Amino acid sequence: MSAPAVLLEPSTAAPALAAPSIDDRVEEVAAVAGEHLARHERDATFPVEALDQMRSTGLLGLLVPRRHGGLGGTSADLIRAGIALGRVDMSVAMIFVMHCQQVAALVRFAHPRLRDELLPEIAAGRHYLASVTTESGKGGHLLTSQTALTAHQDGLAIDRFAPIVTGGEHADGFLITMQSPGCASPQDVSLVYAHRDQLEIERSGDWEPLGMRSSHSVGLRLTGTVPPHHVIGAHDTFRTIVTTVFAPMAHLGWSACWLGTAAGALSRVVKLLRSPQNRRRADLGSELLLTRLSRARQRIDTVHALLEQTRKTVEQTPDLTVPHIQLLLNGLKITAAEQCYQAVDDLVDAVGMRHGYLKNSPTRLEQSLRDLRSAALNYSNDRLHLVDGKLALMDSEVRLD
Amino acid sequence: MDPRFSDALVPFLKFLDGKEIEPDAPLRTYGLDSMQAIELLFALEDTFEVMLPDDAMNDTTFATAGSLWEAVSAAIDAQHGLAGDAFRAAA
Repeated sequence: MSAPAVLLEPSTAAPALAAPSIDDRVEEVAAVAGEHLARHERDATFPVEALDQMRSTGLLGLLVPRRHGGLGGTSADLIRAGIALGRVDMSVAMIFVMHCQQVAALVRFAHPRLRDELLPEIAAGRHYLASVTTESGKGGHLLTSQTALTAHQDGLAIDRFAPIVTGGEHADGFLITMQSPGCASPQDVSLVYAHRDQLEIERSGDWEPLGMRSSHSVGLRLTGTVPPHHVIGAHDTFRTIVTTVFAPMAHLGWSACWLGTAAGALSRVVKLLRSPQNRRRADLGSELLLTRLSRARQRIDTVHALLEQTRKTVEQTPDLTVPHIQLLLNGLKITAAEQCYQAVDDLVDAVGMRHGYLKNSPTRLEQSLRDLRSAALNYSNDRLHLVDGKLALMDSEVRLD
Repeated sequence: MDPRFSDALVPFLKFLDGKEIEPDAPLRTYGLDSMQAIELLFALEDTFEVMLPDDAMNDTTFATAGSLWEAVSAAIDAQHGLAGDAFRAAA
């Protein structure tokens, strides 16, 4: 029997008796994120307090195997964390799941020496990882790079500009896509790891976005040299890393964050509507209000069901490159991006101008809507639909499992 | 590998730079991307008058010229039966 394609290493030791659960750690991070949310949202600054809490609770090591000192978590744990953090702050949730996506790639593909160096540091909360995959002039193509690594006697030289690096100014290390040294085409892509102190980092431009304001996704120019064992997998194997770890973890993790954001928004609206002061003022029998609440809830439950189904399929499927599995994963991302945004948009209509449109409403729908507007753009739904159209043509049986 | 197979591949491999297509030629390195895979598939199906099964639609099949030819060749054998060798020989 083949091993599941995304399987994190099994745990080898029982947790210490008094160790807090993963859910408890997530709650601690969520509480701190909530405390500082308004300021980071206003100033478009990075949620350093929430990151510090991820470090001190060990949550940064969620996907690090226990034998390397981590929590030995699973993709189900990651999804639960993404939903719980997304209920409070979508930026914090996305920062966390994107870090975990990098960790999963290291666990599965890094050279044993690099794994032994890095994973204990991540588990100890000393290493927050950022991903450097964006590049000017490639139109969002994840699987290509325009800039080549250069091999020389001291190692591999990196000189790379990336227009959007979430958390780039606070990361302790970077996973960077570059053309392989001496490669034949832009499709020969390698993934390399660089410590912050191995790089000169120059920031470029400001961060003043519509939503996701505290993700602080700035442009960075990175230059430096790393040793050969910092190549993740081997040269030219980035596509395999994408199909086995990056894409599944991204789609599952992002969808969890978006779902959490929509669920948090609905929860705040329902609590407001049911509050003793409001019960007397609002007409909770309004058919329009009830229908809109029903629609929002329906969208949220649909995304949750699809997310769970996709997670189980990913865990049980040896080859994730077959069209009907790719379609399921891409469909999850597209559906979650559309439906979570629509759910919050329904809620804006449901509660109207004061609680749906004003910044100072406790529903925070205004921020949730702006944050969720990024979901369709974050690896563009338009691009995924084109890919899915081609994939649909390759699956004439229309296999469902 | 059948010369007609190589001829069908060439238009999809913009980074081949005139090199001979060997069985271990990495198709993605030479320029085949997932958006073009379906056009290549149609070209091969037209050339060899076969239908590739859905089971062959994965990264392993499209990894190298050799792995793709193996899938095409298996489809020729399956769909042209004993005439498969003659069919290939006529190519």
